[in-house]
Amino acid sequence: MTQNNNIDTTRRNFLKLTGLGGAALCLGFYFPANGAPVVVHPSELSDSEIELCPWIIINPSGKVTLVNHRAEMGQGSYQSVPQIVAEELEVDMKDINVIFAIGNEKKYGGQITGGSSTIRSAYKKLLKLSAAAREMLITAAAAKWSVPVTDCYAASGHVIHKPSGKKLHYGELAEAASKLEAPKEPKLKKISEYKLIRKPLKRIDTPLKTNGELIFGLDKRIPGMLFASVERDPRYFGKVKSFDATAALKVPGVKRVFKVEMGYYEHIREGVAVVATSTWAALEGRKQLKVEWNSSGFKHWSTPEIFETQNNLLKTEEGMPLKTQGNPTELLSRTNKKLDVIYQTPYQSHTAMEPINCIAHYKGNSIEIWGPIQAPGWVQDYISKKFKIDKEKVIVNMTFLGGGFGRKAMNDYPYEAVAVSKEIGGPVQVVWTREDDATLGPFRPGISYRCEGSMSDGKINALKFRMAGQNNGHWSGAPKDKPNGSTSEGFLKPYYESIKNVSFSDILFETSIPTSFWRSVYASTNGFAYESFIDEMAHEAGKDPLDFRREHLHEERCQKLIDKIEEVSDWKRRKKNEGYGVAITECFNSTVGQVVKVSKNPDGGVKIDKVWAVMDCGWYVNPDIIHAQVEGSIVMGLGAATTHQITFKENIVEQHNFYDYPMPRINEIPLIEVHIIDNEEDAGGVGEPALPPFAPALTNAIFDLTGKRIRTLPFSLGTV
Amino acid sequence: MSTKIKFIWIAIILVSGIGLAFTVSKNRIVEKEYVSIVPIKKDSVASVAAFKQVYKVLMSPRCVNCHPKGDIPLQGDNSVIHSMQPKRGKDGKGVYAMKCANCHQPSNSPGLHTPPGNPEWHLPPADMKMVFEGKTAHELAKQLVNPQLNGHKDLQQLIAHADDGLVKAGWNMGKGRTAPPLTHAQFKKAWITWLKTGAYAPAK
Amino acid sequence: MIQLTVNGKTENLDVSPEMPLLWAIRDTLGLTGTKFGCGVAQCGACVVHLDGEAVRSCVTKMSRARGKNVVTIEGLSQNNDHPAQKAWQEIDVPQCGYCHSGQIMSAAVLLRENPNPTDQDIDDAMAGNICRCGTYPRIRKAIHLASQMQEKTKSDK
Repeated sequence: MTQNNNIDTTRRNFLKLTGLGGAALCLGFYFPANGAPVVVHPSELSDSEIELCPWIIINPSGKVTLVNHRAEMGQGSYQSVPQIVAEELEVDMKDINVIFAIGNEKKYGGQITGGSSTIRSAYKKLLKLSAAAREMLITAAAAKWSVPVTDCYAASGHVIHKPSGKKLHYGELAEAASKLEAPKEPKLKKISEYKLIRKPLKRIDTPLKTNGELIFGLDKRIPGMLFASVERDPRYFGKVKSFDATAALKVPGVKRVFKVEMGYYEHIREGVAVVATSTWAALEGRKQLKVEWNSSGFKHWSTPEIFETQNNLLKTEEGMPLKTQGNPTELLSRTNKKLDVIYQTPYQSHTAMEPINCIAHYKGNSIEIWGPIQAPGWVQDYISKKFKIDKEKVIVNMTFLGGGFGRKAMNDYPYEAVAVSKEIGGPVQVVWTREDDATLGPFRPGISYRCEGSMSDGKINALKFRMAGQNNGHWSGAPKDKPNGSTSEGFLKPYYESIKNVSFSDILFETSIPTSFWRSVYASTNGFAYESFIDEMAHEAGKDPLDFRREHLHEERCQKLIDKIEEVSDWKRRKKNEGYGVAITECFNSTVGQVVKVSKNPDGGVKIDKVWAVMDCGWYVNPDIIHAQVEGSIVMGLGAATTHQITFKENIVEQHNFYDYPMPRINEIPLIEVHIIDNEEDAGGVGEPALPPFAPALTNAIFDLTGKRIRTLPFSLGTV
Repeated sequence: MSTKIKFIWIAIILVSGIGLAFTVSKNRIVEKEYVSIVPIKKDSVASVAAFKQVYKVLMSPRCVNCHPKGDIPLQGDNSVIHSMQPKRGKDGKGVYAMKCANCHQPSNSPGLHTPPGNPEWHLPPADMKMVFEGKTAHELAKQLVNPQLNGHKDLQQLIAHADDGLVKAGWNMGKGRTAPPLTHAQFKKAWITWLKTGAYAPAK
Repeated sequence: MIQLTVNGKTENLDVSPEMPLLWAIRDTLGLTGTKFGCGVAQCGACVVHLDGEAVRSCVTKMSRARGKNVVTIEGLSQNNDHPAQKAWQEIDVPQCGYCHSGQIMSAAVLLRENPNPTDQDIDDAMAGNICRCGTYPRIRKAIHLASQMQEKTKSDK
């Protein structure tokens, strides 16, 4: 297949790209109408972006173009979305050409590739859309042949008349089909009838990733484009007091040096941009730049103070309640036999392999943006408002992303690229260095938890969880008198049935350090606190940790998952000198259970021998992609649990690059075994839910082996 | 042994007039346990004192990091295991995609936390590991004059080694790396003094 | 002018001898398959072959590359069919894919110098290449498979 990264924004090129001649079948959904498929006639296609964005296009040669409305950052939307379409449309995967949509939430609905939502939010619509197109093509063929529709079926991009064996390819039927009304309730296949869905089909983007052909944001080139590197306030919100560009301007290739702003929601961050004819010239110029910052007017935080403050708040404050059933506070006050402990998780950097970058071209009355962007719709909206350009004149093109993990859902770096472009009056790519990426945030916030619980008859009768840490939502304007809605993320819902008294609350805590979503968001930290605490309760009750969970999680899906993880990990046959730990968390409508096996390392500390993961994500598309996402989540979780912490001194990050924020490497990875539960429940997320259970499963295993309870992350495996 | 070295060798014998212990010759099949040290002036006190200076340098991160006890070099002023754990390899130049010179350039890379460079960058080879890490002054002194452990160096080669390109690179390791506690000139002087006063090993 | 050979083609580049090879490859020659990841030889995303060795182009100056033979991911094979590339496709190793140009270039040197690598050999060769998506288990699998493919190609000849 060839790589067509983006919808081209001119009608002529779009038609060329999709092979769209005079007659074609185009289907799409219009949001927020959000209902039945709508047929778009090619004659209606105009330069207006809304008209340019149907989801499925079948041209007269039979070629199918699928417009992927979500980003591809490794999680597999580029494969799983066409895999869904191919199934119900009855075409071969190789005949589908995938292009990325531009930002247009009116057309596609939410486009944020976050919350592991690509499949779970769109699969029903995609199935319906594809089935509708198939039925229309069959109807068109039957009419052409004057035969009953029931005598015709579709396969491999053709409609076939069963009795006679005659067939027509979709291209020959596209025009006729496009004149039909789309069926409102097309007949969908049963799961047992799937030929592509639920099969480990190879990813169509893999060959592009083995020969360097794939274009990531940093690889994108626009004619006449310059390159820029920006020195920004290391304390985030300081102002440029003065700068000396003399030496920078002497670096060959450096064209301009000027002050530039970067919007972060409603906040402004300042920097000094060095614009040059090559990336290297821009980076070299920046090294010669001298900038003085005025970083007064906001408090500068250091890491010990952050956690001290949070932990002190947890001693005295009740916080804003998010969820309460029964009265755990009352129950806990009546017993002197309770557990009351603090858990602590660090700030984290996203550290996608592709450093942050963005190309912008400010053209006066329109703006075009290209980049590794997780949320093109948000960027369009934000840039339109901030630069006062009509929304439809802000074109946001997604390239492939070299990892995102939530960082590339921010609008700050596109803003800055637009600001630089506006100043120079031409296209420019702003390139962040690894150090910029690591030190400038936003970060996953560091969180403290106070967990209290009590038991009666070997079962939990009260749980009280309080959280103190920055609320990402505050940066985007969430009200500060309302609790953080994610405080209970990660905690399994079936617990609410067996534990009568449960409460969650969060205590307002703010700093001047920008924070944001990080893969699996609050579940990544909540999961550690809550699932470790359940383990502590199990130990207190003298129960096997897996049985203890089984006794509290009566829901059938949970029971099945527990049975499965017990079976695959050989939990019952674990040996004396082996530590086994389990954790089960819920995240984005999927439940993942993990068992970690550890043993003593002859050189000191412990080593991880194996990880078993069982994923229940309901309806799913490609089991191999799920396996890959679970493996990757565990590796990322391993770094987060045992190595990574962003620390601050007076707001300035103390880590810089991989030498002091080291990634797990191939020689440090345990064996990982992944299982998927087969059921027909609604689809859940896949890209993130396997991360939260890893840390608690690991520390629970270490407790099992050594009796040492780890309540603060990260910790070192070598010195446990 | 080159003619030049032979000449110097003879000259030393003539000057000192004392042929101590053993001589090393490539014609001999069995290598002697220790390098033949022909002191200009045998002086155990001065020798041990000089070695204590030498030892400080050899145990500094700039030297010990590439003379590790394992097969992975150390790095940084705190001598931690080199990140990404590159292996020594047979010739000391790394293995496969992890050869020293893949990152360590002919000269230091600019900036902080970038690979220091030298055209000869390597560890001692696998069959002659010349471990410094964890060695007492006594052990290290003994090792340095043992041709079976010092890379088959005789006295002159040992003396010459003070000016080896990679040894000298220890004093030019790029930004952010603390130089050894002596200057190279001081080190060289102590090194030669130690050797020329009998290469005595400290008691501990 | 600095002359060097890139993917079999002689190039004369008017760049500073101090310029890292990475930027000459990406910005001057427009071969964007070689990636910028860290700039300090930590991650391996920028690995290219310099006279056959898997050097990190982000710290390799043009002065060192002068007169040498450079192969980038684009030039590793004619048809995306080096055993490592084929094995990577077969196992579906990449997730985001950003680090895999470097991973494959490193693996190619391993497979050339040790056609039957053990797990330990793979660790020794590949620990210099970071993958944030965590595709390591698959990289290991793919190198074993590539080794078999390479063996088979040889015996077929």
